[in-house]
Amino acid sequence: MYRKQVRRRRAVLALLVVGSFVLLTFTYGQRSNGFQRGVSTVFSPLQTVADRALKPARDLVDWFDQTFEARGENKRLKSELESARTLAVAGQEALQENAQLRKLVELDRGPALAASAYKPVTGRVIARSPTIWHSTVTIDAGSGDGVRVEDPVISGDGLVGRIASVEGGSSQVMLLTDHASAISAKVVPEGVQGVVKPEVGNPEDLILDFIDSTRRVHRGETVVTAGWRAQGLASLFPPGLPVGEVTSASVVEQEAIQQVHLRPYADLGNLDLVQVLTGGSRR
Amino acid sequence: MIVTPKILARIVAIAILGVLLQLSFFSQVELLQTSPDVLPALVVCLGLLGGSMTGAVAGFSIGFLVDCLLVEALGASSLVLLGTGYLAGLFRERFEVHSLLVPALLCMGLTLFAELGFAVVALLLGIDSPVSLLVVRDMLLKSVYAFFLAWPIYLGVRWALRPALVEEPKLRRRRQPTVLGA
Repeated sequence: MYRKQVRRRRAVLALLVVGSFVLLTFTYGQRSNGFQRGVSTVFSPLQTVADRALKPARDLVDWFDQTFEARGENKRLKSELESARTLAVAGQEALQENAQLRKLVELDRGPALAASAYKPVTGRVIARSPTIWHSTVTIDAGSGDGVRVEDPVISGDGLVGRIASVEGGSSQVMLLTDHASAISAKVVPEGVQGVVKPEVGNPEDLILDFIDSTRRVHRGETVVTAGWRAQGLASLFPPGLPVGEVTSASVVEQEAIQQVHLRPYADLGNLDLVQVLTGGSRR
Repeated sequence: MIVTPKILARIVAIAILGVLLQLSFFSQVELLQTSPDVLPALVVCLGLLGGSMTGAVAGFSIGFLVDCLLVEALGASSLVLLGTGYLAGLFRERFEVHSLLVPALLCMGLTLFAELGFAVVALLLGIDSPVSLLVVRDMLLKSVYAFFLAWPIYLGVRWALRPALVEEPKLRRRRQPTVLGA
């Protein structure tokens, strides 16, 4: 009797393990399938209700965490304020010069204006991946709101990521910190281009790779989306969306490329409301 | 644990509630830049109270639901959490749980096991970006959080499944001993 029970248990365990491997084999590499979309659609209202109900509790925990972190941040912000003042003065001069140049060449559509072709749809984050190996969030805007796969997602601070899969009333956003994320970007004002990739496990650090080592990048410079367009193909992201600020740049001896580290502008750990840029000229 | 249809319904409700709480609350709060992961701890508690089979099946199901909701490759979380639940259940079948410290320590240890498992599965499936050493800190912090969250989770799950627990000591009204001839 006991041996029979043991045998049955082992069979169930083996079945579950084999089942897991079979599921992995068949679904790995797909971003979504009909079954997952169905389950996600059924649970989406529940997630929305849970998200709304738990928001006060989440805010309370965040308040404690932010108060703890604010001490260290105060010093850093003071030094940043000094350099920002200098940059603001330089920025005012650049704005005046820019306006004059625009009049001269009659530019009616600058690169930053390309984003206006997109129709922003606001969504609230209702769920988040529990592991660091997949950096995704679920938002309560889906195909019913006009959201499509690969649409860029931004927050008030900068680029957040792109839509990975869409259901009727919700969609999954692949954040900049997901290991599969790669964005073509450029450093301004130099215009040096590279690919922004994450460093898995460190949400405060992104890497701008494949940059020519002869063109030096400096700390504090801004990285924005490159938004290239060539031979009928176009980048998923419009040009000029702020991605992050350069924190360090190192040139490795005898290597033709330099690796630039940057801190994302968007607070990817505390996302609440985001905007999906639907439509756009890439279609 | 005797799993009747009513108890099964309760386990399903606990699993759904746990997954919703994880995705809508715990994953979205950060303490020292790390979010707590209560799902391994929940699976450990189910395994400790129900045995290895309950733990394994609950782990598989919870992992499956998480992967469905996050639209990730199905089977990855199931594989890791079924191992976690099975080990917790195996511990319960081999040893007695005398103190509340045991579930907490087990939750801590098996959360670390689960986080390592997630890392191994992710690395085997392929990571396209460099990996920071901060993942180690993240795993350790998640295990520490699991230690503290284990008590409410264990007590809550035990309370919910109380009618099915065979070894749960029943509170009986003390009777006066019968004295012969009185």
